[in-house]
Amino acid sequence: MADINPLLPVSSSDGSSNLTGQATCRRPIKVVVSIFFGLLTVGLFAALLIRNNGPVDYVDVHENERGSLASTAFEKAENLKPVSRGPAAGVSEKSNWAFGGDLPDYPWNNSMLSWQRTAFHFQPEKNWMNDPNGPLFYKGWYHFFYQYNPNAPVWGDIVWGHAVSKDLIHWLHLPLAMVADQWYDKNGVWTGSATILHDGKIVMLYTGSTTEGVQVQNLAYPADQYDPLLVHWVKYPRNPVLVPPPGIGPNDFRDPTTAWLTSEGKWRITIGSKINKTGIALVYDTKDFINYEMLDGLLHAVPGTGMWECVDFFPVSETENNGLETSINGHGIKHVVKASLDDDRHDYYAIGTYNDRNGTWIPDRPNIDVGIGLRYDYGIYYAAKTFYDQNKKRRVLWGWIGESDSEAADVKKGWASVQSIPRTILFDKKTGTHLLQWPVEEIDSLRLKGKEFNQVRIQAGSVVPLDIDSATQLDIIAEFKIDSDALDKATGSSDASFDCVTSGGAAERGALGPFGLLVLADERLSEQTPVYFYMTKGSDGNLKTFFCSDQSQSSKASDVDKHIYGSLVPVLRGENLSIRILVDHSIIESFGQGGRTVITSRVYPTKAIHGAAKVFLFNNATELNVTASLKTWQMNSAFIQPYPNL
Amino acid sequence: MTKIISLFILEAVFCFTFFTVSYSDINLIQTTCKKTPFYDLCVLTLKSDPRSSTADVSGLARIVADSVKAKAIATLNQISALLNSVKDPTLEKALEGCIVSYNTIIQADIPVAIDAIEKNNPKFAVQSATDAGNEAQACENSFAEKPSNSPIFSGNKAVHDLSVVLQSIASLLL
Repeated sequence: MADINPLLPVSSSDGSSNLTGQATCRRPIKVVVSIFFGLLTVGLFAALLIRNNGPVDYVDVHENERGSLASTAFEKAENLKPVSRGPAAGVSEKSNWAFGGDLPDYPWNNSMLSWQRTAFHFQPEKNWMNDPNGPLFYKGWYHFFYQYNPNAPVWGDIVWGHAVSKDLIHWLHLPLAMVADQWYDKNGVWTGSATILHDGKIVMLYTGSTTEGVQVQNLAYPADQYDPLLVHWVKYPRNPVLVPPPGIGPNDFRDPTTAWLTSEGKWRITIGSKINKTGIALVYDTKDFINYEMLDGLLHAVPGTGMWECVDFFPVSETENNGLETSINGHGIKHVVKASLDDDRHDYYAIGTYNDRNGTWIPDRPNIDVGIGLRYDYGIYYAAKTFYDQNKKRRVLWGWIGESDSEAADVKKGWASVQSIPRTILFDKKTGTHLLQWPVEEIDSLRLKGKEFNQVRIQAGSVVPLDIDSATQLDIIAEFKIDSDALDKATGSSDASFDCVTSGGAAERGALGPFGLLVLADERLSEQTPVYFYMTKGSDGNLKTFFCSDQSQSSKASDVDKHIYGSLVPVLRGENLSIRILVDHSIIESFGQGGRTVITSRVYPTKAIHGAAKVFLFNNATELNVTASLKTWQMNSAFIQPYPNL
Repeated sequence: MTKIISLFILEAVFCFTFFTVSYSDINLIQTTCKKTPFYDLCVLTLKSDPRSSTADVSGLARIVADSVKAKAIATLNQISALLNSVKDPTLEKALEGCIVSYNTIIQADIPVAIDAIEKNNPKFAVQSATDAGNEAQACENSFAEKPSNSPIFSGNKAVHDLSVVLQSIASLLL
């Protein structure tokens, strides 16, 4: 047979090949492979070129977008929801304005702006403040530290401010306690907590943001334990004492808590973090606050809640009316886990049971677990922290109240943020599901002239002015009695969708609500902030009560937040409806049912200021008459000022 | 033979890496921008900045923040130019109000947003971005002639929309 391919070797009849045969057999394959490589290389270069040019069609699309801009109104940004979980309304106090559409910016004048400064809430003399830090009682003084920007009325350059008080109300400013002077806190001296040791000494653990932007925990302590003012602080020379553990992101590790004792006699702390979108609390044990062992398990975790900031963990008594030292455990004691959710700027708590042996905690009611259930406060309130006040045997809660006006106004007025009035925290024995918050009793010392109004009848659809003199610094305690007949007669509805936040506010008339008080209202009611109850009746006859605060008419200015805040408030059989309101210029703190549901709001009226501010009772319900009895007091200033002659 | 095979494997690995890297940064821009309400604006803004090819989400947020600032400065200059020649007192008042808004955006909102992104405390970037958008909106609203647009409408719209983009991207960092 003719040799069809003179290049190929003549194969041996048995199919076996030798080495020489292999070499010549592979040559076509070599060619194929080389061609393949060549094409690949060409393809790579082509891809490189295309990538650098960028697609041309984007420009065309952009031009189309421009061409279709016909109207003046921008796309309503309130449709924008953050990607991560969060309630429907407003992510932060600076949320996209509810009524941004048609009104111009308000020309704030100095009279309006200077009126906004509070008289008896803690705030520095100027500039920006945020989280409360390391509150404690020591040698006769209450100490308060806080996140502070010494340079501007916006967040940045964060250091620790410091103030002291004998009574949690009259504060005296002290020099900055800690500044960003080490590599391990150069990018921020962030939030931390104090622990008082057996011998009465104080240790402070706080988060530093390092020069690389990594979050670490640092130890600090007073320079002079005999100085009751604790003016100077020393940082442990070998900080940081804790760095992010494996599996935890360098930006997800902050805000260490006050430590509590374990049954083994070690100190235990918890630090909030997250894994993907699950909020978690890490646990560490230590004997000296320098060396730590991380527990294998977490204190607790809740999926979908995102980063847990400012975690707090403390015991409450189910039976006694006093606070508990942080290490207390045992019968008749429940533990509270609280987290500030980065995703929605709200503080959530849950009540449950702590297991000291393995450092875990489970909620009593998983359906209202941390981050998905109850909040400390349904208004502007964040980064809250408690401490045990051994002086008066109570647990006291601090909370940061930001601004809800424009940053332009903050810059103009030169300051931003206040703290809430410190509140005592107790387990609500009557419901068993809620905590009760109430302004510390020392606030009563600010009460000046008082006035009492008894059994004021407010007909359905009416407004009753209250004759008190000034209405910008007030303490109001009010009780509302409702006709039980009217409640029985009211028709139940199967529409169970009422929610303060999505409602029409105090203008939305229901059969059984709204009724309550109008504060920071001018005579003509062109500006008003209603704080009220709204009751609904289900088709099963069950009554639900909501406690709301409505900012939608609070100011003629358009560059302020106008949302409505509030929530369900449990009302037990036989209870009258009660509200306490502290009005202090641009802050209103409202307590429903003895502090079962609390709402703090910031209000910036343009007319209802100084002598023009008034208070009214109102009842906008259609089928209910209400009788109110209340006491009002003018409140003195707390004269918060620098510590004299320091 | 083994030489060729190893060469082939090497090139295959190289190709694979190259393609995944080159497509992944485009992908990051696309997936990030899909989570904002102004996809096209977001993509255009990011792609016209060379830093975007190697940026993570934090870096993309930084690019958008810089863009808001640049657009705000341009708009502020426009406003100042208009103020030089304005005769109508109502218009003058509106323009002066806008100066305040834009100064806030440039000197307060954007520096805080950038600082917060760099220091990995993104909620303050979200807050500042929201405020920047609100300031631009307030400026636009202060002009009297409705329903037509203000003389600086395109600047206000650009700053507003980009601020919303920044707000969305910063939210991803929470």
